[in-house]
Amino acid sequence: MAMINSEPEVTREYFLNLGPQHPSTHGVLRVLLKLDGEYIVEADPIIGYGHRGHEKMAENRTYKQFMPNPSRVDYLSGFIYNHGYVLAVEKLMGLEVPERAKYIRVICSELNRISSHLLWFGTFLMDLGAFTPFLYCFDDREVILDLLDSITGSRLTYCYCRIGGVAKDIDDQFIEGTLSFIKRLRSRWTDYHNLVTKNVIFIHRVKDIGLITKDIALKYGVTGPNLRGCGVPYDIRKAEPYEIYDELDFEIPVGEKGDIWDRYMVRLNEMEQSCRIIEQAIKKLPRGPIKASGVPVKIAPPKGEVYFPFESARGEAAFYIVSDGTEYPYRIRIRVPSFSNLQALIEVLPGTLVADTIAILGSIDIVVPEIDR
Amino acid sequence: MPLDSLKNSIEKKCPEAKVAESDHSKTGWYLDVAIPAEKIVDVTETMFDEMYYLEAITGLDFKDGFQVLYHFNKFKTKERIVVRITTEKGKKVPTISSVYSAALWHEREVHDFFGIEFEGSPDMRPLLMPEDADFHPLLKEFGKVNAYLRMDEIYGDDK
Repeated sequence: MAMINSEPEVTREYFLNLGPQHPSTHGVLRVLLKLDGEYIVEADPIIGYGHRGHEKMAENRTYKQFMPNPSRVDYLSGFIYNHGYVLAVEKLMGLEVPERAKYIRVICSELNRISSHLLWFGTFLMDLGAFTPFLYCFDDREVILDLLDSITGSRLTYCYCRIGGVAKDIDDQFIEGTLSFIKRLRSRWTDYHNLVTKNVIFIHRVKDIGLITKDIALKYGVTGPNLRGCGVPYDIRKAEPYEIYDELDFEIPVGEKGDIWDRYMVRLNEMEQSCRIIEQAIKKLPRGPIKASGVPVKIAPPKGEVYFPFESARGEAAFYIVSDGTEYPYRIRIRVPSFSNLQALIEVLPGTLVADTIAILGSIDIVVPEIDR
Repeated sequence: MPLDSLKNSIEKKCPEAKVAESDHSKTGWYLDVAIPAEKIVDVTETMFDEMYYLEAITGLDFKDGFQVLYHFNKFKTKERIVVRITTEKGKKVPTISSVYSAALWHEREVHDFFGIEFEGSPDMRPLLMPEDADFHPLLKEFGKVNAYLRMDEIYGDDK
């Protein structure tokens, strides 16, 4: 007689490592998932694989020597970090920057924001299994990299801003190239929407999935497009305008409930707003010097501290600098948006499917080296 | 001023708090609140009720102790508040992770870098540092640094 197992069947929970080497984790990130079948019970993101110690590096080099570091914190919006760092030091010193330099910095920052969003667009859709959009957006992104390369000399980790201005002036070729790029990008929106936004498979995979609500955002300090996706119009460029953002006319795109779809739409609309900012900035671009006169060779801000927030492509980033009056900073703290955004997944992921995890992870647009610093 | 009500509720919860107004155009925040370490949870609860979110927890190493800074902000215009506590080396600081879930990772990071223990925290595993690391890299005694000062050398005598 066959043995009959009389014990009732129980579901067994098991652990799955997503990463650290997985194409959809965009860097070296490990997410330890506790699974019940295909459903996630617990998610524990494990970070730190790319920790380089930027904050320690700041303690033994001068303000000028630290210049190349910020763009390596978040290499996808490197210009914005480079920009934010010099702004923080300038604020600490009370330095006034010429108008033309401000405009040039904003134009480049917004170009960088578009390139970061385009890369997100491509990789996010590749995570979902769509390969073609990736080729389209990399084609567009290449133009931005060439444009920025022509004035900054680098394609990814820019070090173009200087304390008191920018390294060199932009030329007509750059301005014409930028304007024709914006024209080109606008003609591509239809392609993007036809290819992706109206795709029924895509819609089914992103609607009502991965909700980041306002409550979660408040508890975890989620900022950027992930926050705006749930309908909170919070953008540092509007809330605490720096440079010339208060003189320009642009909107903050917001979503409704905070699912992947909303975050997707917010980012696409943001690219259009960045185009508007660039157009206006180029139109208003004043003539004049590109570097403040009388910037000391030795940058030694007076004793004190400053917290300078700026809007990176992923949310609110900030430099908190403590100065002891010498040319070496006493402490530089870098607040990175992805750190808080990723942490919110501890609450967002449970209850979703493994396949949705990939979509959610892609939709919050993390850069892992930025989290690790 | 809208910050007056917040000022009052902080002072109600923690009478020994030193609340100073700060020039936003110079420092980036409006209120600078210095409180004793054991009151941090009470004050944080007030911040949470007032719909502030936690931006960052920052550690600072001085010769005469640690300083832990909590940056709070609202999803609105210019509302930033800094709450700072000063603690002796080797002393524990109460965790605020029961109020803000975000604090858990921030506290783990501060623990990694400075070795400050957060009392009552449910999770104190290393976050950014390797599991077997037995050093705290942002301490001024570790590696090469330019300066190691006392608090009053930077802030004057008022904090």
